[in-house]
Amino acid sequence: MSAAAGHDAADSMRITLKVWRQEGPDRRGRMETYRLADVSPDMSFLEMLDVLNERLIAEGDDPVAFDHDCREGICGACSLVIDGQAHGPEALTTVCQLHMRRYSDGDTIHVEPWRANAFPVVKDLVVDRSAFDRIMAAGGFVATHAGAAQDANAILVPKPEADRAMDAAACIGCGACVAACPNASAMLFVAAKVAHLAQLPQGAPERERRALSMVHAMDAEGFGNCTNHFECMAACPKGISVENIARMNREFLRAALFERPTATAAEGG
Amino acid sequence: MSRIGNALASSVGKKIVMGLTGFLLVGFLVEHLHGNLKLIEDPSGRAFNEYVAFLQGFGPLLLVAELGLALLFLAHVYLAFRLTLENLQARRSGYVVRARRGGSTTGSLTMFYSGALILAYLVKHLLDFRFDARFFADPAALVKQTLAQPGHALAYVGAALVIGVHLSHGFRSAFQSLGVNHPGWNPLLAKLGMVVAFLLATGFAAIPLYFMLSASEGNPS
Ligand code: FES
Repeated sequence: MSAAAGHDAADSMRITLKVWRQEGPDRRGRMETYRLADVSPDMSFLEMLDVLNERLIAEGDDPVAFDHDCREGICGACSLVIDGQAHGPEALTTVCQLHMRRYSDGDTIHVEPWRANAFPVVKDLVVDRSAFDRIMAAGGFVATHAGAAQDANAILVPKPEADRAMDAAACIGCGACVAACPNASAMLFVAAKVAHLAQLPQGAPERERRALSMVHAMDAEGFGNCTNHFECMAACPKGISVENIARMNREFLRAALFERPTATAAEGG
Repeated sequence: MSRIGNALASSVGKKIVMGLTGFLLVGFLVEHLHGNLKLIEDPSGRAFNEYVAFLQGFGPLLLVAELGLALLFLAHVYLAFRLTLENLQARRSGYVVRARRGGSTTGSLTMFYSGALILAYLVKHLLDFRFDARFFADPAALVKQTLAQPGHALAYVGAALVIGVHLSHGFRSAFQSLGVNHPGWNPLLAKLGMVVAFLLATGFAAIPLYFMLSASEGNPS
């Protein structure tokens, strides 16, 4: 390990990482210990993992696989459980936006993947979240032709509804809600999508069909049931409220009672 | 499966049934406590015996009500087992390190255990009172006699407290499951849940404590 970062040595921290290593989906995983002697407080958590991986590659070892893309908190790719918390200890923050200044010299940090049967481990810290894609394909969109962008005031949406829909639309689909839920339930994710679209004029016509088919798709993926712990809301980096789950319950109830059987186009329009 | 079967078997449907049956069971507990408090109101036991006689006066209707109540319990218990099993299966490989973030509470995390304790006590409770041959002769006397024994009384107090823990999560949770979550009402609902849990727990616990204390002081009336 070299002091290649070249920052003030006085700031540098010694960090012990205990990282979940698992070679493949059907392999047994284990926690592996790595010591980093020269971590800058200015590094992001993922940059620290990059440094670890450079070292592992230089030493001829297998680097730690982890998901990341935008590294600016908007794509939902990064997905680490740090010391038992999805996305780590910072509220309303994805792990790519977590910085090492949150930690002190000598800290030991545990890093694990999202854990849920519906999110099987692909390798190390990477899990397969295609269950979310399949739920989205079941109705998380507007199937009608919405046409070209309309004049700004052609369809009026009251400000409070637009705000609530926007709050739900902030979901980046990272899956932290599932990771944090004691039951591995995906309710908050699905609720965010159902609530987002049901509250806007373009999404409202299909709200019943959407609520039924998205809940059905969620159940088929083997997520747990929601028992209202609300750990999801506490872990969500975008602050999605469980109010959306209550809304989805209402949408579902309404749909179960009033949705008429139709002979419309196949799922996915 | 039928339309209603499909809806009820879904994860949201199960929640809704859990919440609804929970609510109705709370309603039963409130009426049950109302009846039981007659034992303290009138230490001679006459008021309580009149209340029991009044209920018995309904004849076959009482049986229908009791069967309905049993159905509520069965549905609630069946769903509890099913949800718990499914939730355990949804994460077969668990976390090495686990930290709560502030959503869950002791009440929410122990729902299955508190429920199981309440169920176990319910069986004992029914055998002690409802299905005791002496019950309909002089219900108040049987209750006093039973609850004067510290073992029985402590089990009753324990069950009352566990009901309080169960409802500390259950009451508010039932509202959420039935779709009631509104920033204007949430603070009130949260408080109401705690008040209902506290009042039912202390209300029921007061009865055996009263008989235990009055038994140790000699004649209660
Ligand atoms: S990498 Fe895109 S949100 Fe973290």
